[in-house]
Amino acid sequence: MMLAASDLSLFVERFINGLADGSIYALLALALVVIFRSTGQLNFAQGEIGTMGAFFVSTLTLTGLPVLLSILLALVLGFAVGAGIERVVVRPIELRNPSAVIVALIGVFLAMNQLTALIWGIDARSLPSLFPNEADDFVTILGAPVRIARLGTIGVLIVVLILLYLLFTKTKIGLAMRAVANNQESSNLVGIRTGFILLLGWGLSGSIAVLAAAMLAPSAGLTGSLMLGPFLLASVAAVLGGLDSPVGAVVGGLIVGLVQAFLVGYHPSIGSIELTPDLLYPVMLVILLGVLLFRPTGLFGSEKVERV
Amino acid sequence: MTGTGTGVSQPILNVAGLRAGYGPIEVLHGMDFTVGLGEIVVILGANGAGKTTTMRCVSGMIEREGTVEFQGRDIASAKPDAIVRAGISQVPQGRGTFSDLSVNDNLLAGAYTLKDSYDDDLDYWYRTFPRLAERRDQKAGSLSGGEQQMLAIARAMMSKPKLLLCDEPSLGLAPIVTQELFRILGRLRDELGMSLLIVEQNAGLSLALADRAYVLETGSIVATGTGAELLVDDTIKEAYLGVVT
Repeated sequence: MMLAASDLSLFVERFINGLADGSIYALLALALVVIFRSTGQLNFAQGEIGTMGAFFVSTLTLTGLPVLLSILLALVLGFAVGAGIERVVVRPIELRNPSAVIVALIGVFLAMNQLTALIWGIDARSLPSLFPNEADDFVTILGAPVRIARLGTIGVLIVVLILLYLLFTKTKIGLAMRAVANNQESSNLVGIRTGFILLLGWGLSGSIAVLAAAMLAPSAGLTGSLMLGPFLLASVAAVLGGLDSPVGAVVGGLIVGLVQAFLVGYHPSIGSIELTPDLLYPVMLVILLGVLLFRPTGLFGSEKVERV
Repeated sequence: MTGTGTGVSQPILNVAGLRAGYGPIEVLHGMDFTVGLGEIVVILGANGAGKTTTMRCVSGMIEREGTVEFQGRDIASAKPDAIVRAGISQVPQGRGTFSDLSVNDNLLAGAYTLKDSYDDDLDYWYRTFPRLAERRDQKAGSLSGGEQQMLAIARAMMSKPKLLLCDEPSLGLAPIVTQELFRILGRLRDELGMSLLIVEQNAGLSLALADRAYVLETGSIVATGTGAELLVDDTIKEAYLGVVT
């Protein structure tokens, strides 16, 4: 079927916007997967680490620091908060009762949400973007206007993926992280300090969450609830991709972003169903249920098959 | 065979009064044993006798009380990574390979504590176990039980240990694979001068290989001797070889 020029440009616009939003979900889902693989926990506080980091970026930029430097410093904060949660909350509780950790993490989520409000107040702020983000900062691709900041977000995801790939496949620490995720007992026996490696994993996830929030906040507006929706969508993305698969997290995140983009503003309706933003979460719920019912391991998750 | 029996002039591992357990339950009630330099020592015991607990005490995986000396150095409160660095490596029960990692990555993980280059060792173990070289990019989980056991041994050897601990290496392996395995363990001693501590239920093969052996029952050593002596001992025959005397 031929698309008229305006149809094509609308498609391209929605597609790239979907990839950009999807990149944010993919980053968050990656952070979830890194932790799930090593600790088997779903970090409910993930989004709030990001929100706190984004507020920190805003404070730093207000003092006149460049945006890039502010974000880099906030990544350090995210690392510290993630690692701190592992050391102070997760590890002591896991020793006593592994299934209680999830409740504790929900507690951390609430505490961080309130703490952020306490420190930075409840008024919305605007966060400067790392990329040119004025009204006329867009390029035209196949007739579609695409904001440069959107392309930048996709670029950030690509850079993070390359760095993570290099970390996991080319470095000793990365090998240790994969080993610990696979078998903690054996990791101990080859001399890996598993506690330290878990700490690094949580710290890394914290940094990734802050990066996701710093990419999202300039367009979404910085409030205490910045990451609530994205965290839910990233959870769906992680389950869709397979909770133990980094590739799955990225593919899942992009799919969720694309579904969102084409659900709203592409066609006004399907049959008699009017497509509105309100449909996003119900549709995601249906996708989530479908995955859990028909393919519980997700698109790329592994079923544990092992020869004895 | 070097089965000397009494020649424990230079114990590389000296364990005395070893106590350990899980929570309030004590599993080991004061064990004494030694491993001499270049010796294969077997601790024979049934299920639940405390074999794995003994191994976990030496490799630092659990809290323990008593004397554990390695090369004259007290390691009774050392952590697992310090013990690997000191020169003790363990082949865990059930192989414990990193099933999602490639064969090659398993071996590299084995060399985690080394600072210097380990390419020569990697080559050496691939030459020793050609099957592993053929499968170097395959996931370890896809190997057969025997291949995984070879991988677990090679991985443990990658840290250049002086003492190798083997926790029931024959478990779940076909008899012919077990024979091959024990031949390899013998070669580690004879060709590389390794010291080995092996805990086993398989009395026949392990005693034939052992320089010395101990019998462990419910957390205490109840008999000791050379492998050859215990192999012809009537009580041992009855309890571990299924021979009615």
